[in-house]
Amino acid sequence: MVAFTEEIVDVGGTKVHTLKGGTGEPLLVLHGAGGNNGWLKSIDALADKYTVYYPSHPGYGESERPDWLETIPDMAAFYTWYLETLGLEGIRAVGFSMGGWIASEIAATCGHSFSKLMLVGSVGIKPNVGEIADLFIISPAQVLDLMFHDPSQAPEYQAVYGREFTPEEMMVAEGNREMAVRLCWKPYMHDARLTSLLARVNIPTRMVWGKNDQIVPVECGEMFNKAIKGSDLVVIDNCGHSPQVEKPDEFIKTALDFLA
Amino acid sequence: MSLDVYYFTEMPYHYIDDELAEQWPSLRLTFPNSYFDPNKATDLFKRYLDEFQYAEEVGFQGLMINEHHNTPSCMDVEVNITGGILARMTSKAKILMLGNMLPTSDNPPRLAEEIAMLDVISGGRIVSGFVRGIGIESWASNTNPIHNRERFEECHDLIIKTWTTPGPFRWEGKHYQYRAVNPWMVPVQKPHPPAWVPGTGSPETVEWAVKHRYTYAAFLTELSRAKELFGSYRDQAAQAGWEAGPDKFAFMICAHVNETDEKAQESGKAFMWRMGHPLKGPREYWAPPGYFSQAGVAANAARRQKPMNQMSYEELQEHNHLVVGSPETVIKKLRHIKEELGIGSLLLETQGGPLSHEDTMRSIKLMGEEVIPALQD
Repeated sequence: MVAFTEEIVDVGGTKVHTLKGGTGEPLLVLHGAGGNNGWLKSIDALADKYTVYYPSHPGYGESERPDWLETIPDMAAFYTWYLETLGLEGIRAVGFSMGGWIASEIAATCGHSFSKLMLVGSVGIKPNVGEIADLFIISPAQVLDLMFHDPSQAPEYQAVYGREFTPEEMMVAEGNREMAVRLCWKPYMHDARLTSLLARVNIPTRMVWGKNDQIVPVECGEMFNKAIKGSDLVVIDNCGHSPQVEKPDEFIKTALDFLA
Repeated sequence: MSLDVYYFTEMPYHYIDDELAEQWPSLRLTFPNSYFDPNKATDLFKRYLDEFQYAEEVGFQGLMINEHHNTPSCMDVEVNITGGILARMTSKAKILMLGNMLPTSDNPPRLAEEIAMLDVISGGRIVSGFVRGIGIESWASNTNPIHNRERFEECHDLIIKTWTTPGPFRWEGKHYQYRAVNPWMVPVQKPHPPAWVPGTGSPETVEWAVKHRYTYAAFLTELSRAKELFGSYRDQAAQAGWEAGPDKFAFMICAHVNETDEKAQESGKAFMWRMGHPLKGPREYWAPPGYFSQAGVAANAARRQKPMNQMSYEELQEHNHLVVGSPETVIKKLRHIKEELGIGSLLLETQGGPLSHEDTMRSIKLMGEEVIPALQD
């Protein structure tokens, strides 16, 4: 396992809790609406080749939220500041679910931020046929049920989701959920202008989707793929919304192939 | 010490039986509206409005209306509509609207002029309640619950300014922006109609009510908890250098009177419909993430010993959520509540779902002739 450290990055007075580890060129990893799940196997594998920056978004976990930050475009603006603070530019980025939305917003509006972009089960585009599951109107336990196609094939499922949580962890999870509500309530998990803006993205981009994603339909992956020139879409069989947890080996392989 | 007694009904569409209700997660929000029969509702509205009118005739000092959305338990979907009807069909009673949902409104000056118009039509009888709306209203209106309190406060500030500041003026807030606030219609009552706020126990609401010196109404709350909340209000007012009198406190419960205790206990069972399925539903419906502060979650949990829909008919009466009996029995119980809480207003939900028109009218009559006068000493 690659050693990682916990760092506080001060972005214009806002403290951002960041997990950092690995060696090599920098790689930004942006978590989904549920929050930062920590240094899992898939993150560790990325850190084997790259220096991974894995922040908790402002308003999530131990990271502060500046008063003005209310939307995903605000979040994108914030992260360009975060990158500038760290002296990072033209780096690789991976975004999971809502983190994919943030990453694609950055890529579309700030062309020099990233050199390669990978979007995993990303929200941000409204599907034409299906719907993005409403995660706010159901309980956290129901969200978890939707997230996995077959939890038994996720080696870290028990460690991450199957154990008893402390009251402090429950408070953090509730706070994370409230931050997701702040960012994504309406329009729910999408932005009507994103598809048009994605035409500006001119870096290598790969979408990765679980074929059995019950939260964000594969159709959304196809729409991202169509909107971004020269991109590709990798669909992983027998896999739900979080390939990095449910099928880590397949996820790692496709990620490392693409990012190399 | 006098006591203003208000007649209240949510104007329920009670034709949904338990067997049907149980097929859905809740009667609220997602219960299919295909079960609504508008023709039955026409008859119900006629009846409910007659009952309001009768309540004024027999001596209720006020009539209370409220609104909810996506639920058969409350057909009133707009207090300013029912307020308008009552303003014209009554002549003496105060009209307590508890209230307009501020956070879900996108147009505070419009609300200000609607309430002002009601105050004008009624000749200054409007009591303007301002409410956050229960969590379900955030879903029904798709208003971000995380902004509920912020929008409540900004909408309120803009309404009060609209009523008290000669227009035109500009408003550039976080949630609301206007170039020319200048409604022609302003209220009769000066500086503005009395404002009330209901509370479920959130400390922020008590603090806010004290700050504005508004009447705080506790809804279906344990007496001991209501005492704590009112005590907190009095303490905060005292710290701010003023004394909060009974006019700052209102208490809302369900009440039913019949000629004898025995008869009342039988007819009062109709209230169990209102205490049942309309109060059920997933936690997320009632409390979408962000709707409650951490303090609000704890306060709401302390409001009652257990949820009302898990209480028996007897338990609801033991906990004073429902007062049932002959006039003598009800007088005794309501006097106790009045004295314990030091309230100036008592809000009685007197029409309980399947309670028949005949039973409702008798209950209203006995309250007006016997109960209300006995509560005035």
